[in-house]
Parts: sequence; structure tokens; C-alpha cells
Amino acid sequence: MVETGHFALVLAFALSLVQTVVPLLGARLNNQRLMAVGGPVAVTGFALTALSFAALASAYASSDFSVASVWENSHSLQPLIYKITGTWGNHEGSMLLWVLILTFFGALVAAFGSNLPATLRANVLAVQGAIGAAFFLFILATSNPFIRLNPAPIEGRDLNPILQDLGLAIHPPFLYLGYVGFSICFSFSVAALIEGRIDASWARWVRPWTLVAWMFLTGGIAMGSYWAYYELGWGGFWFWDPVENASFMPWLAGTALLHSAIVMEKRSALKIWTLLLAILTFSLSLLGTFLVRSGVLTSVHAFATDPTRGVFILCILTLFIGGSLALFALRASRLTTGGLFHPISREGALVLNNLFLTTATATVLVGTLYPLAVEAFSADKISVGAPFFNLTFGPLMVPLLLVVPFGPLLAWKRGDVFAVAQRLMVAFAAALLATLVTALFLDGASVFAALGVGLAVWLILGALTDLAVKSGFRTVATGVMVRRLLGLPRSVFGTAFAHLGLGLTTLGIVGTLCFGTEKILSMHAGETVELSGHTLRFVGLYPAQGPNYAEDRGRFELIGVSGSPVGEISSAKRFYPVRQMTTTESGIRTIGFSQLYISLGDEGKDGSVVVRLWWKPLVTLIWGGGLMMMAGAAMSLMDRRLRVGAPSRRRKQASALPSATLP
Amino acid sequence: MLFWVIAAILTLGASLAVLLPLAASVKGASSSGEHDLEVYRDQLSELDRDAARGLIQPAEAAEARTEIARRILRLDNAGAAGGATAGRASVTARLVATIAVLAVPLVSWGLYVKLGSPDLPSQPLSERLAKNPADSSVDELVARAEAHLAANPADGRGWDVLAPVYLRMQRFSDAAGAYRNAIRLDGDSAVRQAGLGEAIASAAGGIVSADAQDAFEAALKLDPANAKASFYLAMALAQEGRAKEATTAWQAMLGRLPPDSPWRGAVEQALAKSGSSDVASGGATNGPDAGDVDAASSMSPQDRETMINTMVAGLDDKLRQNPRDPEGWMRLVRSYVVLGKADQAREALGRAIAVFGADSDQAKKFTAFAASLGLAATE
Repeated sequence: MVETGHFALVLAFALSLVQTVVPLLGARLNNQRLMAVGGPVAVTGFALTALSFAALASAYASSDFSVASVWENSHSLQPLIYKITGTWGNHEGSMLLWVLILTFFGALVAAFGSNLPATLRANVLAVQGAIGAAFFLFILATSNPFIRLNPAPIEGRDLNPILQDLGLAIHPPFLYLGYVGFSICFSFSVAALIEGRIDASWARWVRPWTLVAWMFLTGGIAMGSYWAYYELGWGGFWFWDPVENASFMPWLAGTALLHSAIVMEKRSALKIWTLLLAILTFSLSLLGTFLVRSGVLTSVHAFATDPTRGVFILCILTLFIGGSLALFALRASRLTTGGLFHPISREGALVLNNLFLTTATATVLVGTLYPLAVEAFSADKISVGAPFFNLTFGPLMVPLLLVVPFGPLLAWKRGDVFAVAQRLMVAFAAALLATLVTALFLDGASVFAALGVGLAVWLILGALTDLAVKSGFRTVATGVMVRRLLGLPRSVFGTAFAHLGLGLTTLGIVGTLCFGTEKILSMHAGETVELSGHTLRFVGLYPAQGPNYAEDRGRFELIGVSGSPVGEISSAKRFYPVRQMTTTESGIRTIGFSQLYISLGDEGKDGSVVVRLWWKPLVTLIWGGGLMMMAGAAMSLMDRRLRVGAPSRRRKQASALPSATLP
Repeated sequence: MLFWVIAAILTLGASLAVLLPLAASVKGASSSGEHDLEVYRDQLSELDRDAARGLIQPAEAAEARTEIARRILRLDNAGAAGGATAGRASVTARLVATIAVLAVPLVSWGLYVKLGSPDLPSQPLSERLAKNPADSSVDELVARAEAHLAANPADGRGWDVLAPVYLRMQRFSDAAGAYRNAIRLDGDSAVRQAGLGEAIASAAGGIVSADAQDAFEAALKLDPANAKASFYLAMALAQEGRAKEATTAWQAMLGRLPPDSPWRGAVEQALAKSGSSDVASGGATNGPDAGDVDAASSMSPQDRETMINTMVAGLDDKLRQNPRDPEGWMRLVRSYVVLGKADQAREALGRAIAVFGADSDQAKKFTAFAASLGLAATE
């Protein structure tokens, strides 16, 4: 089985070479047969990669230590679920997952792209094949997961304990679906550049892919943030760690792409800019892969270190980013522009959004790469932490968030800011009220905190105002309004939900940062402690034995108003003997949208334990907002607009298959 | 064999994916113009909807309609030039097709032969543990015994069998645990206590600690003739600097041991070593060499000595990289003293004092500690 997987991987590499060359030449020679090769080859390549991945996963599940990667990253005592998720909890396996998703998207284009013009489809598949070939070669040459050991060791070295967690099971696949999803936008852009023309429906084909990628990337980042929050035991949700930035940059650029693609699709404007953004977004995804996988960073996440890999990925990076940008420089002048608009209009608002988002991306890029450059050219190792980003990224985001509610309400081509402002009066008044209430009635609220709450309320109500205005709230009878509301295009709901999610996340961040409280103390069993109105009693420390670890579990009782316990929270320190590592399992209890967070520190000689307690008001909204944004993207995906673009003779088929251009 | 069949089938499938579209008849393709027209039509109708909902002002809507109409007109002009014409294969196309079909098997088999291990079957752990014990390696047998004991931790006999195997595999702390379990479940015996002592001492790099001494003493109480226990207790004496008593004890052992006892050689060697180092440095510092400690165990003396020297060297290295570890320094000094390498012990002591500063409290502690071992600080 293992060797079958290895062979399938090699075969998939061979097919990716064919997929790169043959359709591209077919499009050049305008030969239907050669172009037609792309589709079946892409689907077969995906099937083989999937077979290969399944073989590796089964080797992990059955603890086959004759496979070097299994031996290095697994242990027979691990629970089955972590044996399986261990497949992608290491460098080799995660790269295989990367190409699996890449070929998956390629296969989707092949399977559902029958309504694409033949040359465009061939070129897209060829570019997709080229990316695949580069990464297959990378895997086979530097990170082959199928290297065997003979004789096989009898026991493995265990998976890094901080990765033995359900959050990790879902985080990388989501993140990769996001990263790699943008490869489709990239392939479409490069294909358009190769052809030297952009079809009218180009944006309609690209937008769903952008939406899908963005949706998964949002989920992946939110999941990663939550994982770091509860697993690393520091109680923080975002560390401006280079690995986090690596996923955040494509997200920012992808958000910009999502918005500029709307203008391109609806007004045929901003074509060249959108093309460039698509290239940049995927380039940032590649850069993220490089940063994480090459081991140039040393951070909590960087568990892969090998210089040859770094150089190889750097070559891939140069080839694709340099190649696509060179092609862009050569061909961009040949592309036609179209669609005029006034500065104050929906288009103008989306351009503003793009300006802010790309500047923010550049800021994060500088903050991430500057320390690396310093390290490369001198011996110093500096870190650019939260202060830098608070000073640069923060001021860029605030004005952007302030104008978000205006965007969806502005008319196309020429808008009226004053009319929109009038409609937003209610939201504005409520935001002002929220600010005042926060400043006057909440103890310890700083001016920033009050303004932050106001901003969040402004965003949330602004999103709802959009729905209210479009459904004719207060101007028509309630029945008509409800009917209109339900009749609104799904994309309108998508916009509103995503912006609402943005507001929720802002509220969560402001609440946690400005109103959170923290206590570090040494506790004996039986002692109680109070934190922000919650009383906790430390019951004691109890040893326990897990499948592959030993733990000291600290139990706490939450005391209610009446003095009797209303709930229990337990936090643990786990020791994994194989890797000789200790991890913290934080104890979390959710109360409303807020959370009590307990993390155990060292044990004192007199039987006391250092306990760190946090009260994190509204913290769940941070990730709840992320889920809301995902829901918005999903809703936008269901919009009928995205299914148009095929010639009418295929329309019947498209309506029979409602998600014709979607996965 | 089965693998090659699967590989052949996979290759065939992959080649067909390339071959079939090349051989298939060509369907008439839609031109990109048709696609574009469809989009423009939809843009027009959407414009109407937006205008009805007030999302765009009438004047701007009219302007946008003109823009779209202009694009449609342009499309009609270009339409004449468009459309896919090919279908017949040119020579170049045939060449590309042939190379593509050939590339799949050539690249994949070529690469796989270089990278793969086709003869190595999958080895899931459960299968390896279930196969005939006669075919298993020692590691596999141990793993199987471990799995059995994990399921039946109260099987004293199992622990008893496993413990000496662990010792031989140099998994000393596992061996100590196994002996303890065997003693707890199946009761005391001289052999088990002596084994426990040996495991504890070996885990500490050959130094007979108080725990190990307790175990050996317990063994002697159960069986006064236990050679291993007597040997190690004499070793403990030597390590404490009581060389004379150690020599006496070993000599007494020689008198008692039957002529064919495997311990004879070990004791004689220990005696020779202790005698010679007595002459060499003449102090209480001259502990016996590590080779003696372990001559009794299953390893050859040379092997064991090498092993202990490597352990000490490893500790030395670690302290060079990470010098602020007072306990590590003390362990190192003691190890050198025990190994009879007084010069190196003195040198290590000097380094330790240098790390913490000659006047520091820690340095005084080091000096006192060294003095207790009979070692003076750097002269």
C-alpha cells in the first residue's frame, strides 16, 4: 500500500508535466485535441494524488514505522484521531496535502469548466499543472513522505504534543484550501495574460473561486487563532507572529481581490488591477508557504527546518512570482480597460477599500520580512511585534472600518454621500450612544475603548441598515418589506453578513483588549479567588494518565451567587514522555459571549500552584465574527449571478446543475 | 508482485487519460464571443433590476447601458475572426501528442525506480506484533511483551522476563521499573533485587547510589551468596573512597566463588585496576575504573567502558554549551573522580569555578564538594 502511494505520487508528477505542456501548446496551435487533454489529465492527476495521500494516511493510522515520516511524527499509543491528523501535522505530509488540494481545484476546473472558452480552459489548466509540477518535484526531491526505513523501528518519536489537538486537525486543511484556492485566480489571470485578452465573463469565473478561497482562509485563520488561544496557554488570540502574518497577508489581499472583482464583474472596470491583485494574492500565499515551510522563521509554529527545502521553495517562488509579473508587464498594456465612474460611487468606494487593504498588506509584509532581512545582513535578530503593527496597521484599519457601511449603500457610477449619510443616521446615533455609555458607565474604560465599541456598533448597525434600506424598511408596508427582503439577491445578504461579522470581530477584540482582567497568583487547594465578579474555588490538583501522556489536572469550581458551585473548570499540565515535552491545557468556561480562562503554572514546594486567570469579555465574538464572514461568503456563492456566463445553449444544463461553476 | 501489477494498472490508466482525448473526435466548440454576449446580456438585465431598486440613478443607468451596448457591438466585429478552426492534427501536434503519451510511463517508472523501495512491504504495527515470534526481531518481541503488559499490568512473570531484556538493551530506567513491578507482584527474590540494583546503578552511569545499595543489601539478605550484589557493594565502597575495604571485600568474594563462576574474571579485573590506581595516585580519590563496574553485566568490559566514557563526555559537552548548571558540574566532577581521572576532575572543577566566579558562593560550594571527594582545587 505504501509503495502504491509512492508510485501514484510519481505518476501524478508525470501527469502534471503533461498537463502543463500539452494544453498550452494546444492553445498556441489552436488544436482542439491537444487542448482537450488538460481536463482528463487534471482529474486523473487528482485521483492519483488522492490515492497517494490515502496511502500515507493509512500508514499513519496503522503506525507503519517502516515509513520514515511516520516514525518521526507518530507513536503507537496516540489516539487514532491524532494518528490520522498527524498525517498533515508534519512537513512532508502537509506538503502532500498542499498538492492534493491544488490538484483538487484543478480537477474542479476540469470537471465544471465545460462552459469556459476552450483556450482559456486549456491555459488555466496548464498554469495549474505547472504549479503542481513544481510542488510535486519539490516533494519528491526534498520532502518525500514515502522514504522507507529498513529494518523498521518498533516505536515512533511521537507527534509534537502541541499539535495533538482537534484544532490542528481542521486548521491546516482549511488554511490550505484558502491558500491554494487562490491558485485558481492566479491561473485564470496568467491564462488571460497568455491569451492577451480578458473575456467579459472572466470576473464571473474568478469570483466564486475567490469567494471559496477567501471563505476557507477566513475559517483557517480563525481556527488557527482559536487554537493558539487555548492550546498555547497564554490567553492571547493573535500574536503578530510571522506564521500568522503569512496567512493574514493573502487574506488581506484576497479581501481586496474579492471587492475589486465585483467592480470588474459588474462594471467591467478595474480589469488590470484585478488581474494584478489575483497574481499578488497567490504570490503572498506562496510566500506564506515559503516562510512556514522553509524554516526561515523560528517561532511557535515553525517545526520544519532544512535549508535545501528553503532554497527550493525560493526557486519556485521566484519562478512563479517573477514569471507572472514579467508576463503582466509585457501584456498588461494590451488589455482593454472599460467602465467609467465618478470618484464618489460604489466603484470609488471599492477602490478606496482596495487602497487601504493593499497598503495594510504592505505594512504587514514589511513587518514580517524586515526582521528576516536584518537577520540575513547582520548577525542581529530583532523581532517586530505588536507595537509596530498597532502603530501602522491599526491607523490604516480604523478609517477603512469607518467607511465600510457607506460602500454597499452608494449607487453605482455616481453616488450621493449625503443621501447615504442620512440613511446611516440611525446607525451613527446608536454608535455615538454606545460610545458615550461605554465612556461614562463602564469602569476603567479608556477613550480608545469607548471609541472602539462605538466603531463596532457602527459596523454592525451599518450592515443591518444596508439590508433595511434595500428592503424598503419604513417606506413600504411590512408585508411588502418582508417580501422584498427575501427577494434580495443572495450577494446582498453575503455583503451584509460579512460586514456584520467584521463588526462582531471588532467588538470581540475591543472587549477583550480593553475590558479583560487578569490575575496571577499562587493558590492552595480550597482557596478561592475573585475575578471580575466571578468567584473560583481551587479544588485541588489531581494526577491522571492519558494514552501517551501523564497530566496534573487542576480542578476549579465556579461559585454562584448563592455560594454553591455552579460549574467546574479544569486546566491541566500534560507531560509527554516520548518528546520530553510539557504542554498546558487551558481551562475555559464560556459565559454568554465571554470566557473565563485558567492556565496552570508551576507547582510550588508547599503544594501551592501558580494559577493564571483571565476574564475575557466578548472574546468568542472574535471567532464568531469569522464564522459570520464565512457565512456571508457562502451566501454570496449561492447568488445566481455567479452561474451566468455560459452560452445560452448550455443554460439548460446549468440550471439543472445549480452549482455548475462551483465545487 | 502484486505491487507491480497495481503499478502497471495505474500507469495504464494515466496513459489512457492522455491518449483518449487525443484520439477522440473533436466536437464543435463555442467561441468566446458567445460567452461574452451572454455576460453582456445578463449585465443589461441586472442593470434594469438595480435601476428598479434605486441602486443606480436613471441617467447613470442609461450611460452604463450605452457602455455595454458598445461592448456588444465590438464583440460582433471581432466575432468574424473568432471561432476554433483546428481539428486536423498538424505534424507538430502529432509530435507533441506522441511525446506526451510516452512521457507518462517513462517519467514515472524512471523516477520510481530511483526513489522507491518496491520490495519493502507495508508493515503496520499490529501485523508486526501478531506474526510468528520466531520471525520477530528482539525489538518486536519486546514491543509485543510491552503491549501484553500494558493490557495485563498485574502479570508479574511478564515483568520478570522483560526486566533483564531491558537491561541488556540498555533501557535502564525501564529495567528498574520492570524489576520493581516484578518484586511488587511476585515477591522479593535475591535475583530481582540484585537486578534492580544493577538497573539503578547503570542508569546513573555506573555509580552505585544509596537506592542501588539498598537493593543490593536486600538481595544479600535473601541470598548471602549473591555474587552480583556482593560485587556491586564492594564497588560502592570503592566509589566512596574506601579502597582498602573494597579490596578486602573483593578478595573475600574470590575465596567464596566457585571456580567456574563468571564473576571470577570481573572480580580479578576489579582488583587489578584498584590495585594499580592505588599505586598511581595513592589517595582516596582513586575509584575503580568503569570497566570494572560493568564487567559483570552482559556487555563486554570494553563496550561498557566506552559507553560510560561517552556519557561523561556528553555531560561535559552539554556543560560547555550551557555552563550555568551547578548540579551538572558536581555530577561531572564526581564522574571523573569515580572514573579515576583526577586531572580531568580538577580541570572540570576549575571550569565550574570560572563560570560562577572564584568568589561566588557557588564556587565555595564546588570547592567544599571537591574536598569531600578528596580533590583539591586547581593547584
